[in-house]
Amino acid sequence: MSDWRNSPPAEDWTIDELMIARLADCFADGDQACNGMASFVPVSAFWLARLTHAPDLVWLAGAVGLEPRPDRVPASTLEAPLWRDSIMYVEQYGDFWNFALNGRWLTKFCVGAAQLDRYGNGNNSVIGADYHNPRVRLPGTAGLGDMGSIDKALYYWNPNHNPRSLVDKVDFVSCAGYLGGGSERADAGLEGGPELVITNLCVLDFHPDTRHMQVASLHPGVTFEQVQEATGFELPAPEGPIPTTAVPTAEQVRLIRDVIDPDNMRRREFGG
Amino acid sequence: MSAEKLTTLEGAAGLVRDGDTVAILNMATQAAPMALVRELIRQGRRDLGVVCLVGGISVDWLAAAGAMNRLIGAAVSMEQFGLCQRYRKAVEAGAIRVEELSETALNARLGAGARNLPFLPTRGLIGTDLIDLNDNLLMLDDPFGGPSVVACKALVPDVALVHAHKADRFGNIGYEPTALWPDLGIMPKAATTVIVTAEEIVDSEVLRANPDRTVLPGFMVDAVVETHFGAHPTSFSPRYGYDTAMHLEWVGAARDDEAVAEFLERYVTGPADHAAYLETVGGAQRQAALENWEQT
Repeated sequence: MSDWRNSPPAEDWTIDELMIARLADCFADGDQACNGMASFVPVSAFWLARLTHAPDLVWLAGAVGLEPRPDRVPASTLEAPLWRDSIMYVEQYGDFWNFALNGRWLTKFCVGAAQLDRYGNGNNSVIGADYHNPRVRLPGTAGLGDMGSIDKALYYWNPNHNPRSLVDKVDFVSCAGYLGGGSERADAGLEGGPELVITNLCVLDFHPDTRHMQVASLHPGVTFEQVQEATGFELPAPEGPIPTTAVPTAEQVRLIRDVIDPDNMRRREFGG
Repeated sequence: MSAEKLTTLEGAAGLVRDGDTVAILNMATQAAPMALVRELIRQGRRDLGVVCLVGGISVDWLAAAGAMNRLIGAAVSMEQFGLCQRYRKAVEAGAIRVEELSETALNARLGAGARNLPFLPTRGLIGTDLIDLNDNLLMLDDPFGGPSVVACKALVPDVALVHAHKADRFGNIGYEPTALWPDLGIMPKAATTVIVTAEEIVDSEVLRANPDRTVLPGFMVDAVVETHFGAHPTSFSPRYGYDTAMHLEWVGAARDDEAVAEFLERYVTGPADHAAYLETVGGAQRQAALENWEQT
């Protein structure tokens, strides 16, 4: 294990590395993590956590390969090179969903969604008002429609924070967040829910009563006004100074660049 | 004596009728029974309903060829190669109707189909907009007094298309050491007719040597076809990787109607048979590169 604790803050960190380090922070020993397709930021975060503070974080790569040993982040996060040297293959129908639905395991889930609204509802289904005649047909809900409703803590990552991806109200709810806010999620019988939204500008969380999204920390050099400008709904005005997101350490940056993702696959998620 | 199931791609695809609901076992860039998909297009099949967990280039080609008018599934994407643009256009134009299900809801529909139940429940999807617009999903009170669940109506696909590593001539299907594809555990078991393409037809003794790797029994399989590189251009672990160049060529062609027609003529309807297709896409040299999982 590397000497990451005593490593100084990196001087040349980039935003992808900051997001990965922040997301890695959300996972601890005793957790199980799984990833879906095109999930370079979560995959890098799980891996970084395992190399630093959470060596016993269980990783189920692609929801298929348990405890894999890939040689680097490959071009796909849903193909065999990612789950090289797994200790077990987990079959989807018979195994994966038994573990995920049980409630004891895989209690945290990372979500990427085309749209996310002020109450943390996600949309990967359609853009436009008419579901059957959409303006844009998105890929579809896949596992999100399950993970939002089965008591998971949801961690959204969004490398492209803008008013089209962070919206007042999603065109279609394909991943249940806090629904209309307040107690609506709990009233629907759902536990868990969105915990954090990590974007390229800031970290957001949800007010414990209203369940409205709010800025938890600003990345270095980013102002609240910039975040508001890039957000499709009004954010609650900060009551005091907003903390600054911790930058990754030099050792974390080294691990990401040299060990985890030397081919820079993570950069593919940015600028979309 | 068991019945022999060996047939040709032409004969196997002939078991699929216009309008059928066809379950395709594949993922975004993985394990798609592409030789069968191409043969369905060659035979001019129309109005198919495609069932898949995650559809990729298989769905995009069927959409491009006008062979399908509905989709039941959880997602359609070619992952690193982006959205399936011809599928997307067809949905946006109203030519394909989508029944979008979460993974557990699709599993529940197929599971009920396989077990001859009216429905199975899931806790997924509660709170989403996907329940109200779908007649096959209904909120249901727990008769034992617990929280409500979503009843998912049984789905029995007319046909399931599966690609495998090995099969004997009686339709017993063997897998080589690799991850089991999502839905192998349920999708073929729910379907009325099961068609399997296999990289190799082997003697039954080969399967008897590792019965733990037999994934489907011959009695539920209706047709098997020997189809070397039958999943190309998708990957088929552990034998070969996905064909990056061909996916990129398709992504380029998919932008333009004329280029789509040329692409389909060149790769799908043009080649006389599967062997001719494999030559068209680069022959033995290309296959060797894909067997090494080379990414070009």
